[in-house]
Amino acid sequence: MKTTDTPPADATVTGNRPPAVAKSPHVRPAKQRREGSVLNVFSHGMLVLWAFMVVMPLLWAVMTSFKTDANIFGSPWKLPDSLHFENWARAWSEAHMSEYFLNTVVVVGFSLAGTLVLGSMAAYVLARFTFPGNRFLYFLFIGGMSFPIMLALVPLFFVMQNMSLLNTIPGLVLVYIAYSLPFTVFFLTSFFRTLPTSVAEAAFVDGASHTRTFFQVMLPMAKPGLISVGIFNFLGQWNQYMLPTVLNTDPDRRVLAQGLVELAVSQGYKGDWSGLFAGLVMAMLPVLAAYIIFQRQVVAGLTAGALK
Amino acid sequence: MQHGKYRFVVGFLAAPLTLYAVFVIWPFIQAVYYSFTDWTGLSPDFKMVGFANYQRMFEDEIFWKSLQHSVLFVVLLPLVTLSLALFFAFMINVGGRARKGAAVTGVRGSGFYKVAYFFPQVLSIAIVAVLFQFAYNPRDGALNSALSAIGLDGFQPSWLGDPDYALWAIMAVLVWSTVGFFVVLFSAGMASIPKDFYEAALLDGAGRITTFFRITLPLLWDTVQSGWIYMGILALGAEAFAVVHIMSVGPGGPDYSTSILPLYIYQSAFRDANAAYATTIGVALLVITLCFAAVVMRLGRRERLEY
Amino acid sequence: MGSTSARNGHDGVGRRDLIKRSAALGLISVPAMSFLSACASGGGGAEDKVDKGKKSEENPLAVNESAPLDFVLFDGGFGTQYAEDAVKTYEKKFPEAEVKFSSTQKIQSVLQPRFNSGNPPDLIDNSGAEQMDMGVLVGKKQLTDLTPLLDAPSVDDPEKKVRDTLRPGIVEMGQFDGDPVWIMYYAYTVYGIWYSQTALEKLDSEYPKTWDDMLAVCAKAKKKGIAGWTYPGKYPYYMPFSMYPMMAKIGGREVLDAIDNLEPNAWKHPAVKAVFEAYYELFKKGYILKGTTGMTHIQAQTAWNKGDALFIPNGSWVENESSKTTPEDFRMSVGAPQGMDSADKMPFGTIWASGSEPFIVPAKAKNPAGGMEQLRLMLSESASRNTTELVKSLTAFDGGTDGIELTSGLKGCEAALKLAGENVVNPRMQDWYVKLQKEQIGVAGLGELMAGRLTPAEAIKKIQGFADKTAKDSSVKHYKHKK
Repeated sequence: MKTTDTPPADATVTGNRPPAVAKSPHVRPAKQRREGSVLNVFSHGMLVLWAFMVVMPLLWAVMTSFKTDANIFGSPWKLPDSLHFENWARAWSEAHMSEYFLNTVVVVGFSLAGTLVLGSMAAYVLARFTFPGNRFLYFLFIGGMSFPIMLALVPLFFVMQNMSLLNTIPGLVLVYIAYSLPFTVFFLTSFFRTLPTSVAEAAFVDGASHTRTFFQVMLPMAKPGLISVGIFNFLGQWNQYMLPTVLNTDPDRRVLAQGLVELAVSQGYKGDWSGLFAGLVMAMLPVLAAYIIFQRQVVAGLTAGALK
Repeated sequence: MQHGKYRFVVGFLAAPLTLYAVFVIWPFIQAVYYSFTDWTGLSPDFKMVGFANYQRMFEDEIFWKSLQHSVLFVVLLPLVTLSLALFFAFMINVGGRARKGAAVTGVRGSGFYKVAYFFPQVLSIAIVAVLFQFAYNPRDGALNSALSAIGLDGFQPSWLGDPDYALWAIMAVLVWSTVGFFVVLFSAGMASIPKDFYEAALLDGAGRITTFFRITLPLLWDTVQSGWIYMGILALGAEAFAVVHIMSVGPGGPDYSTSILPLYIYQSAFRDANAAYATTIGVALLVITLCFAAVVMRLGRRERLEY
Repeated sequence: MGSTSARNGHDGVGRRDLIKRSAALGLISVPAMSFLSACASGGGGAEDKVDKGKKSEENPLAVNESAPLDFVLFDGGFGTQYAEDAVKTYEKKFPEAEVKFSSTQKIQSVLQPRFNSGNPPDLIDNSGAEQMDMGVLVGKKQLTDLTPLLDAPSVDDPEKKVRDTLRPGIVEMGQFDGDPVWIMYYAYTVYGIWYSQTALEKLDSEYPKTWDDMLAVCAKAKKKGIAGWTYPGKYPYYMPFSMYPMMAKIGGREVLDAIDNLEPNAWKHPAVKAVFEAYYELFKKGYILKGTTGMTHIQAQTAWNKGDALFIPNGSWVENESSKTTPEDFRMSVGAPQGMDSADKMPFGTIWASGSEPFIVPAKAKNPAGGMEQLRLMLSESASRNTTELVKSLTAFDGGTDGIELTSGLKGCEAALKLAGENVVNPRMQDWYVKLQKEQIGVAGLGELMAGRLTPAEAIKKIQGFADKTAKDSSVKHYKHKK
């Protein structure tokens, strides 16, 4: 495998300082270079190996989704005898992909927006202002990360019931936001602390209010942090199934994760493995697509953040 | 910066704090309250029992065993996962040979790696666990097939069925499924480190290892710390539970070798109808998580580099 | 959200606006807090039950003809079709009643809050991994006594009570202490050693009747590179399916009763020891399929279907569960456990068979009569036959197999039950003490024994220790067999 020593094709992207760089290979002492090439083989080997380890199972899952159950167990490594698309049709209807997908997008969309707005507000205040109780509130938020959700489910059910929020999309959104706040606040607090204070002070001296300083100066600066914590939350909320299992039992309002987990659990009882694999491949695609699109924005967002 | 400060602070905190108090804190306070009762979870009929559940917990062998495993999870998982992720992220972003004008680039194919490494993240953890049951199948699973393909016919462990391997096999799944995410996270952090830092280091003749420890790691420390906490919570929380619950013998076996606290909580509440005892263990888990967070934040208190 | 107004308005407005919004949110939430004071304990009182309907020959349980029925089914190996068909008969009989039918795999997650708030459904199939603990439900008075259902005339023959149409043992299984019957087990499961007739014939062997024969068959198979046994190594609590009845066969029913009653030294009985040693022999002689300890039930069953192993301890659901991987000419059947010698207390054929799929009607159900009526309809001959056809399982209704083409496994069940006659045993460990049975005896005891990590003597000592601990545990409700 050609893993060593080929110059990257896109070398021009970052190269606006040629002189310093052109010299660098020459100043390296010979000893370091030898160490370098051993390291190189090892490092590249690791990279390739890991890529293999993460890609293979998924390719295998895609392949398996086209096989019959007998073949999945009988000859797990062979290619399917023919493409069994009926697995996909079954999974589509059993996991209710079409209906649940929209619910999930709505719930996660609103939750994510709400989490980021409310989380960054709280984090900003906790990071940048001293007031009595600041530490207490900070640890109160952090403490929330540490309690197992499954124990809060029954009391939470009653809270929701009393507020008439059971089996409603807004109710689910509020709960998702509330349970995403601890990590979001924790993450963004440390992020706001790292931002230079001078910019905010300057804005404030210019007569901007705290609120305006926050929305117009601090938030744009915090974009890289928001994006990072946004990914954390997106994944967490997209895959969340314990909360909706209990709080959102109305079949019409279910989210995708519920359908998928039911599909996964049913294997133990019904053994419909081909359906499961078809379902998981289907559910995987939108997230993967979102990531590939999003990944460019992350890089763009971070570059913008670093320029300030 | 004092003008209108308190109004601002109150205004900004009101909404998140209310939401948080109503949906998170309040249910948890009730849960803690249940740990002092004999609530079964299946009927509204219960009475106070004082510290009986706590006493039972301290005498419960399985609790201590689960605690040990959970502590092992919380120490090892972040360490292994984050180390691997840092290594990969560094290689992808700055590990490439510097030539033809670019001081700092990723290795060849870094674009591919960035996408590929994220793959496990698009699967929910329950599905990952199901997938790995196939890999660990002692008869025609991927792992043993691969072992015999490279001539290790004599070494065919039954993985999840063997108390010497089961816990490690399960931890490996968690590492597998989370590394990619941290690679992405760290890549994002590394991309925002100004290039001149690296160039300066290269001019000084620093190798890649030195560059990593002198520049990348310190500048990335905050992100690493957040990742550390996130990973620790994952190792004590729903993800670890799902993997053990789906994959292990029993679950929790063989012979309690993979029992962890969240699993024990689940079993107490959902199998043994002893919700009160489950919340008691939940309180113990809360204490451990807080200790963990405190330790990490203490370790993380380094001088901050501003740039 | 707030950012637009802050950017466009002049200084103070954005902030005030924001504060106003937060305050509004607060206003919604704060009064809500007062409602929240109700812990799970306080959860709204049960609304009144629906009025009784008019009792008649057609409607012996006096179901309110227009009252809605709320039915929650466990969606497991049997799927939902058999119950949906049954719901249709209910709807046909009571056209004005609205039936709310739903299914889930997470029974407790979904129903726990409803029990706590006193608002449970009218009929539940309480099954699966999240089965709610029956002992607790009974002990906390959460269930309705089903005696009216049992004493009602059956659908097919008004002269016969429902109770008299059921298979032996079904009614007793629904009792905990005393006469009330809390649970109606709808399916009927035969446990034992499952095998392929074809595979045995290929070895020129018959189903072994004694343990020595068993070892001989395994030896023969081993020469051909076939393992004698496999079992779900990840769920070793399948082992009792053949081990418990074998204990009874050797030492009599009392052995199992003593175990169920958590009597001291119950596990030290010579019959138990004989069975443990017999099974340990399988491990020592290498008759167990390699890798078995790491396999799920599906993986083990598939290996068995492929002919890698001859025998697997299982329940009659295996036929349906493994139907997709079973070869056409497999000829699945079930056999009774082997014995030692002529000194055994019970004859060959002694087998474990008992009810499964427990249906319950909660005490606080709004329409308990409706729940029971739905069960009565399910216990008719036609509904039972429909179920047997759909899910390849016998039901609690005694009969219901005439006129349908029985599958190979079901024929095996019928033959095994016929051979057993009176000698059907019904160990209660798995519904009385779930944790002890599955986690402690199953995984930590038998699992380790079968993997060769415990000797029979060590396993017995360990399991006896678990049993003694359960007997002493005050948080566990204890039961005894009726003398």
